[in-house]
Amino acid sequence: MEVNEQLIQAITRAVVEQLRRNGVQPPYGQNAQKPSEPGVNTLAGKTRMRPKHSYEGAQKAPQGTDPKEIVIGVGAAFQTEIRSTITGIPLEEVIRNVKAGIEEEGMTSRVVKVLDTSDVGFMALKSAKLSGSGIGIGIQSKGTTVIHQKDLYPLTNLELFPQAPLMTLETYRRIGRNAARYAKGEMVTPIESVNDPTVRAKYQVKAALMHIIETEQLDPDKGMIPWEDGDKR
Amino acid sequence: MKRSKRIEALDQRAVNKDGFIDEWPEMGFIAMKSPYDPKPSITVENGVITELDGKKRADFDFLDQFIADYTIRTDRAVESMAIPSLTIARKIVDIETPRSEILRIISGITPAKMAEVINELNVVEMMMGMQKMRARRVPGNQAHITNLKDDPVQIAADAAEGALRGFSEEETTTGVARYAPFNAIALLIGSQVGRRGVLTQCAVEEAVELELGIRGLTTYAETLSVYGTEKVFVDGDDTPYSKTFLNSAYASRGLKVRFSSGSGSEVLMGSTERKSLLYLECRCLYVTKGAGSQGIQNGSVSCIGVTAGVPAGIREVIGENLVAALLGLECASSNDQSFSHSDMRRTARTMLQFMPGTDFIFSGYAAEPNYDNMFAGSNFDAEDFDDYNVLQRDMQVDGGLRPVTEEEVIRVRREAGKAVQAVFKYLGLTEVTDEQVEAVTYAHGSHDTLTRDVASDLMAADDLMKRGITGVDVVRALAESGYEELAENILSMLKQRVIGDYMHTAAILDDQFQVMSGVNTPNDYLGPGTGYRVDGKRWEEIKAIPHRINVNDF
Repeated sequence: MEVNEQLIQAITRAVVEQLRRNGVQPPYGQNAQKPSEPGVNTLAGKTRMRPKHSYEGAQKAPQGTDPKEIVIGVGAAFQTEIRSTITGIPLEEVIRNVKAGIEEEGMTSRVVKVLDTSDVGFMALKSAKLSGSGIGIGIQSKGTTVIHQKDLYPLTNLELFPQAPLMTLETYRRIGRNAARYAKGEMVTPIESVNDPTVRAKYQVKAALMHIIETEQLDPDKGMIPWEDGDKR
Repeated sequence: MKRSKRIEALDQRAVNKDGFIDEWPEMGFIAMKSPYDPKPSITVENGVITELDGKKRADFDFLDQFIADYTIRTDRAVESMAIPSLTIARKIVDIETPRSEILRIISGITPAKMAEVINELNVVEMMMGMQKMRARRVPGNQAHITNLKDDPVQIAADAAEGALRGFSEEETTTGVARYAPFNAIALLIGSQVGRRGVLTQCAVEEAVELELGIRGLTTYAETLSVYGTEKVFVDGDDTPYSKTFLNSAYASRGLKVRFSSGSGSEVLMGSTERKSLLYLECRCLYVTKGAGSQGIQNGSVSCIGVTAGVPAGIREVIGENLVAALLGLECASSNDQSFSHSDMRRTARTMLQFMPGTDFIFSGYAAEPNYDNMFAGSNFDAEDFDDYNVLQRDMQVDGGLRPVTEEEVIRVRREAGKAVQAVFKYLGLTEVTDEQVEAVTYAHGSHDTLTRDVASDLMAADDLMKRGITGVDVVRALAESGYEELAENILSMLKQRVIGDYMHTAAILDDQFQVMSGVNTPNDYLGPGTGYRVDGKRWEEIKAIPHRINVNDF
């Protein structure tokens, strides 16, 4: 059997891919840091993750009046600096499924980008207050989601999905459906809790980095802006 | 590159699934000491702190001002700040220097000075410090009691078993927030079935938690969160002053409370002001002390993934626990959040609190399988009970738990389930069937139990709140359903808030409802031959693990 450079590279890629699927962090030379001299393993001096996106000219999203409307408030880095959730689900698919869930229940949706806070509870509450129905959904770029109602305390909510790595597209669709049912005043059975005690070990550092990316894109003067065609930006 | 089979084997090890990151002080990814941490300093003029850690009073943020006005003893500051940090660090380890003298010195130092003192100590010295500075003489332990279904019957059964196993406090929370009153009632009932005097809390949104406490459906509270930077405080819709007010609200009804902090939250919230994890946690603990709280839950807690991800992160965790003890606070020292795929690493992390003993080594230990732990997984869970009992036996260390028999476990689980069934029936809540009680009695976790009607449960829980049901109603329901003794136990728990003694630092109750706190049973460790030693009845209990060779039958 002839072994050439291309074949070796292809096998290496396949092995690395398999390791990743098994949840192993990348080995040397695959995005990981190599060990080096003492005092060198530091990121000191680096001040941000991504350049600041300009929202020059963006208008504030208007107050909703349609009682059938549910506002989806997405994070500041959504579809600009961050294109998929912490587990790699493309953000346009996330939005598509939430909207589809809302439509299945005969309600309508409006997407806005929240530029004044990256805290998902407040993102959801602000969206609820903007929404004609009083129900809003906040979605951080890493995938964490809250369903909120305009007259609740900020740190309470209708439904909270705190573990972003456990989210699936089906969950997002069901979130859309439940939000629509709350807006219709139905008796809603919350989506059952899921739990994975290994999530913190694997993802919390990544979550912190993604939250830094989101937070450094905040533009509080802009508030909330229309984000209907986010995927085309 | 041709891969080494050795390295490939190592890459597959559990520890390599954990998240690690280099130090990055600009974003707060730095454990013990950031180049941006302030240098210790203080100026006191006419009894007022006019300068603190390099900042003039006019430039204070609200944490600085709160700490300057309420935490630091201005009458001791000049004297304490004149003592070199290294000298204070040595006194902490020195067995000739009593705890009371350390507390006096520490009450006059600033947060930056505290961080400097801690930086002088390695982990063994920190453990020596904790052994001496812990408030209560005998260490304790706290459990998490939760499940994926928010099933109140399972909560009661797990609470009863947890109490039987030795936990002094039990904490629940919800998957679905509206379940809170059910979980609180089930925990209150179950705990007193397992052992009289166990304290219970329900960690939920602060206004709801307060209401549950005022109604007597819980017997203490823990989730009063404080943060190390002004920005994160404001994001949480709070200030040190509002937290103090909330603390007083609990105190006004005679309820035990501790605050909650822990490093890493400011990193996750993206506002660290470039300070180290340790320095920011020092500020949290100074706010806690200034607010008049008797204690704190800390040790990175839910942000341990960040703290454990940076170099010396686990050293920082025992460091921040020690800071709490140095300030005279009760320390519930975390160990309550899964942070590693590696059994070796998660055990090593816990030894730093287990060996010296803290007021609560875990805050808490998952007394259910981790898949049911609604705090997103604890560092130890129900499947580790026997490992933990063996660790106590191996090292002759009191970790707060004890071995139990299968017969006892089944008995208390069934009784707790039956009692919840009776209370729910008496109060007109959703039905608890005999089949549910039976399934829960023998269950390991919610995979083994029956499904409940969630929508009906939530309506009944809302209704319970609207009807103004209180702890006294639970007592009446039990008494009139034939559970007089259990009713008496819960009434005794409610009486604690009138007596008030359990609001003292690090208080727990024994099975006669007598308080053991840092005030009436203070830690008196001063080196070999002093302090709490595992012996007598307690040692016999720890020795009696279930799986021993029976020599007579051999």
